[in-house]
Amino acid sequence: MTSSSSDPATYPAEFLPPATETPRRSMLVHVITAVLSFVIVAVPSTVGGLFFLDPILRKKKSGAGGATDGEILKKDEAGFIRLDVTKDSVPQDGTPLAVTVRDDIIDAWNMFRDVPVGSIWLRKVGDGAILAFNSVCPHLGCSVDYIRAENHFFCPCHTSAFDLDGKKTNEIPPRDMDVLEVSMRTNGLDDANGVEIWVKFQNFQKATSDKIVI
Amino acid sequence: MDSLINWLETRTGFKAILHEALYERVPGGARWRYVWGSTLVFTFTLQVITGFMLWSAYSPSTRTAWESVYYIQHEMFLGNIIRGLHHYAAQAMVLLMAIHLVQVIIDGAYKAPREMNFWLGIVLMQIVLGLSLTGYLLPWDQKGYYATQVTTNIMSATPVVGREVQVLAQGGSDYGHLTLTRFFAMHAGILPTLLVAFLALHIYVFRRHGLTVHDPKRAPDTTFWPDQVLKDSVACLAVLAVVLLLAIFRGAEMSAPADPAVKFDAARPEWYFLFLFRFLKFHAVESLGVTFGAIIVPGIIMGIIAIMPITAKVLGNFGHTLNRIFIWALAVGVVVLTVMAFYEDANDTGHQAALTEAHRDGERAIELASGPDMIPVEGAVTLLRNDPFTQGPRLFAQHCSGCHRYNGHDGRGSMVTDAGAAEGAAPVIAAPTAADLGSFGNRKWMTAVVVDYSNHFSWMKNSAWFRDAAAKAAAGESVEYIDPDNSEMADWTGGNTKSLNAPENADNVKALVEFLAAEAGHSGTTYDPLLVAKGRELAIHGTWAGALKDTSCAGCHDTIGQDFPAEPDDSAAGSYPTLAKYGSAAWLKDFIRNPNAARHYGPKNRMVVYSSQKLSDKDLDLVVRWLTRDYPASNVHDYDDQTAVLNSALSPNSTTEVEASKE
Repeated sequence: MTSSSSDPATYPAEFLPPATETPRRSMLVHVITAVLSFVIVAVPSTVGGLFFLDPILRKKKSGAGGATDGEILKKDEAGFIRLDVTKDSVPQDGTPLAVTVRDDIIDAWNMFRDVPVGSIWLRKVGDGAILAFNSVCPHLGCSVDYIRAENHFFCPCHTSAFDLDGKKTNEIPPRDMDVLEVSMRTNGLDDANGVEIWVKFQNFQKATSDKIVI
Repeated sequence: MDSLINWLETRTGFKAILHEALYERVPGGARWRYVWGSTLVFTFTLQVITGFMLWSAYSPSTRTAWESVYYIQHEMFLGNIIRGLHHYAAQAMVLLMAIHLVQVIIDGAYKAPREMNFWLGIVLMQIVLGLSLTGYLLPWDQKGYYATQVTTNIMSATPVVGREVQVLAQGGSDYGHLTLTRFFAMHAGILPTLLVAFLALHIYVFRRHGLTVHDPKRAPDTTFWPDQVLKDSVACLAVLAVVLLLAIFRGAEMSAPADPAVKFDAARPEWYFLFLFRFLKFHAVESLGVTFGAIIVPGIIMGIIAIMPITAKVLGNFGHTLNRIFIWALAVGVVVLTVMAFYEDANDTGHQAALTEAHRDGERAIELASGPDMIPVEGAVTLLRNDPFTQGPRLFAQHCSGCHRYNGHDGRGSMVTDAGAAEGAAPVIAAPTAADLGSFGNRKWMTAVVVDYSNHFSWMKNSAWFRDAAAKAAAGESVEYIDPDNSEMADWTGGNTKSLNAPENADNVKALVEFLAAEAGHSGTTYDPLLVAKGRELAIHGTWAGALKDTSCAGCHDTIGQDFPAEPDDSAAGSYPTLAKYGSAAWLKDFIRNPNAARHYGPKNRMVVYSSQKLSDKDLDLVVRWLTRDYPASNVHDYDDQTAVLNSALSPNSTTEVEASKE
């Protein structure tokens, strides 16, 4: 406050801020004061900062249970989920079929039972084997569509394109579409000729050339 | 009054502060070009006021965020204005900030001794962009959810620490409650606090060095109050007027509640980031990867801007010229890319269709939330998941539109095109190979079945199975199939066209149609009981006039007028399709599951059998309820009727080449 229209000289003395001289203190007092000041700020800041890092520091992670469909378990211990569709309902001619995957989701303090967790593309190939792709684009996480007129997979956000085997056909996506593990079963038991489709539904990190499970 | 002011002055010394604040010297007189910084401070103040008010009603969690924003926007007094102001002022802030930055660089206000202040401004810019990003997600609607997903996925592409940064921002490996609580804490707490702190420093350092004045002799010197403040206030009023008008007449949009399982093809960043979005789509940029386009290049640009004071110091006037050229080039580039992005989206039919669906979903969600059942505790996300009006078109497009159409389109408003068109060639509209179900079961449909049977089902003749069967039949082979031109029903309507259309039967046709439509019993329609009774007589006893006398529906379809059995079987099936409650939900469900049953088309059937593996019970229920209009009525603008477009594309005179789509 260098300039003022009021003249401080007209104030009664007791209304002016008291004048102080810098007192001389030993080095020790300086050091102790500095350390104490640092500590009282650093402790809450550190605790607060660590709390904020919870998502990468927390050890205890709760695990999702298996979704059940009446008495029939829909998810096994290896993480395979039984789809509502069977092999017979996937088009014979190799046209992809979009299927919603349902599972239990834990979101912080909530457990949501048997809710849609994602969408996948199923395709019948050659000898009748089933291919499954996560429909999330490996580029930046939008959803990949099947374009019937051009018979390929396409992401409308940044024009990533893939052929029907999930191989990328332009430079936009960093990798091919994410193939999911499929297991054909009968009554939940492995059976190459079974019609039940079990898929290990996983999401992967986007924007990397490697397929890293989230 | 004077003594009160004196009392306060002797205790606080406020006059000196006030003087310091208001009597800043303005050499060369007040000018309009100095207003930008003040408009930014004003916009921020507006954000604080509206933001605190929104905070008082907002609830951050995946099951309450959309819900509370809906409540603010559509239920609370002036809620739409408060949210609208916050929404548009946020965009104004980004725009004003860009103008402020460009002006500071052009005027050389970043050069010594004002480097520190320039850098403080750069920090403030990052904070404001952070506020934009975090705020966009908070309504937890599809638009914000998917656009922000892209941003956090870009974060994950940061070298070395990308994944950790993403997990920290999201509050976990995926989006959920904690993403919202963290984004909200950033948006309403941490970032504004930082902004206030840096803004205070920014203004303090600004006052220390004063305005950057090029022409101090332009006019007599003046002081901030009242000359410059007047101009600033006028500018702020203009900003306020613009955002207020936008808030009132345009409003802040809400798309449907975020649903990770529902694709959102209309995803785009806010308009002020469209340039970056468009930049990322260049082939040359794409081929170098996301990290390059979305992190390294923007990082380099920010870096160049940040070292501008040093550039100008080292290279002198030449450096300043370089800086000016750079900022102009950047500004032009940003504008060009933004215009390109808008232009391309406007001409992209796929994107426009996705936008139409996004608006339809958003309005429907709001309509259901405002309905008598309100929002269930499971969250608004279930409103659309269980809504036939929303899910029916999607299920139809996925399962039915290979053969059928709905008012000429695929159910979701898009034309069905042929597979296998050459890359880059214009898509060819495909011919339907089964009936158009847009009017299924209503009076229009029933009228067509009664008086125009052959034509009504003629789309079937485009199908491969039909041509195949017709060829076999022509070659003398015995083959059972449905021929719209050549069947007992076709003979009945075709042979009696004259009588059906004659005045003698006009009332009878009307009555029969009323009866048939009443049997289908679609929701939202009322039927004339007298006409229905008369129609029933006609259907069962054939009380026709003229040539039709003594013909009745029941003569062949002996179950007409009866209830559709709860557990249908073929024990009583005749050789004609059952018309018991024909077109009703019960009939339709059974037909979709068992079109090849003897009670329906038996061996003549060519429709795909939709078992519960192919179409779950829930999905069957949704699509049937949609086709029979069994859902809370909607005032949302539905997909436009494309029948005329389809017919013109398929007419023989059309230049478009048409092939029957594959089976």
